[in-house]
Amino acid sequence: MKTAEVYEHEQGWNFEKAAMPYVDSLYNTAYRMTRNSEDAEDLVQETYLKAYKYYDKFEEGTNFKAWLFKIMKNTFINNYRKKKLTPHKIDFSEIEESYERVIQKNAPDLIRDPESEIFQDMMDEDVKRALDSLPHDYKMVVLLADIEGFSYKEIAEILDCPVGTVMSRLYRGRKMLERTLLEYARKYGYIRGVAEPAKMRSRKDETKGRKKKEEPEGESEVAEPEENEEEVLFTGGEDDFELEDEEEQQEEFAIE
Amino acid sequence: MLCDDVKRIAYFFLDGTLGEQKKNDFSAHLNLCPECEARTKLHRRLRIFVRNRLARLTAPDRFKQRLMRTLRAVAAEWS
Repeated sequence: MKTAEVYEHEQGWNFEKAAMPYVDSLYNTAYRMTRNSEDAEDLVQETYLKAYKYYDKFEEGTNFKAWLFKIMKNTFINNYRKKKLTPHKIDFSEIEESYERVIQKNAPDLIRDPESEIFQDMMDEDVKRALDSLPHDYKMVVLLADIEGFSYKEIAEILDCPVGTVMSRLYRGRKMLERTLLEYARKYGYIRGVAEPAKMRSRKDETKGRKKKEEPEGESEVAEPEENEEEVLFTGGEDDFELEDEEEQQEEFAIE
Repeated sequence: MLCDDVKRIAYFFLDGTLGEQKKNDFSAHLNLCPECEARTKLHRRLRIFVRNRLARLTAPDRFKQRLMRTLRAVAAEWS
C-alpha cells in the first residue's frame, strides 16, 4: 500500500496517516447531508483538501476528528446551503404536543410494551426518510451524537454553537425523529392505534388545562427553524449535567 | 421529580450526562412510575433502532483510492 516514499513532503504522509482513518465517518455523514453519493464524495474530497491546506493550523492534542467534521460542515454550508439560508420557523410547542398525541393516542401499546418487535418490519427507506424530514440543524446534531458518537462539547465545536444549543437541538431533534417514526409505523400499519391514552401525571394536569386543538390525522409538517428565535432549553448555572469540562458545566449548563 | 421533569431529561439520562443527584432522582422516579419507565425504554429502543437501521455507509474503495491519489498529487505540488 502506501509508503512514505510516495511523498516528497513529510506533511503529506503525516496528514494521510492521521486523516484517512476517518474517511468512512466523514463519508457517512456527508451522504446523510447531501443525500447522494456523488455530492458526498465531492464534499469529503474538498474537506480533505482544505484540511490538508490548513493542517499546520491544527493544534496538536485537540480532537482531529472533530476538526475534520467542522471543516466539512463549513464546506457544506458554503457550497450547498447558500441559497437555503432564508429563515423559517418551527412551532416547538406543536412538536411537544404532537409527540404526546402520537404516543398517547396512536401508540399507547408502545408505552406499555416498548420491547415489542413492531419496528422490525419498518423499511430502512422509512427510517432514512424520517431522518431527512428533520430540519437540517436538528438532523446534524442527531447524526453527530447518535450515529457518530460525538460528545455535546465536540458537537458544539463542530457546529460553532454553545453546548446548551446542542442539547436543546438534540432534545427536539430526537423527539421529532421519534414522532415521525411512530407516525410512519402507524400509517403503514406496523402498529395499530388504540383509543384511550395512557394517563401521565403532569404539571399541565395540575394547572388549568389548556384547550387542545383537534389534530388532523397523519404527518405534521415542520418547517426549518428561524435561528434567532431558537429557544435554548438547557441553560443555567446548576450542576445537573456532567460535561467533560467542569468549569464550563459550572458556568453555563444545567436545567433551569 | 415529576413526570414532566423526567420527560425533559430522559434523553440526557440515556446519554449518561446527568449529574449524580439528577441521575439518582431520575432512577428513583422510574422505580415508582411504570409509564415513565416504559417511555424511557421506548426512547432507548428507538435510538438503538435508528442507529442500527441507518447502518454506517463506508466510502467506496475507488473513491478512497482517488482521494489518496489527489492528496499525494497536491502534496507533491506544494512541496
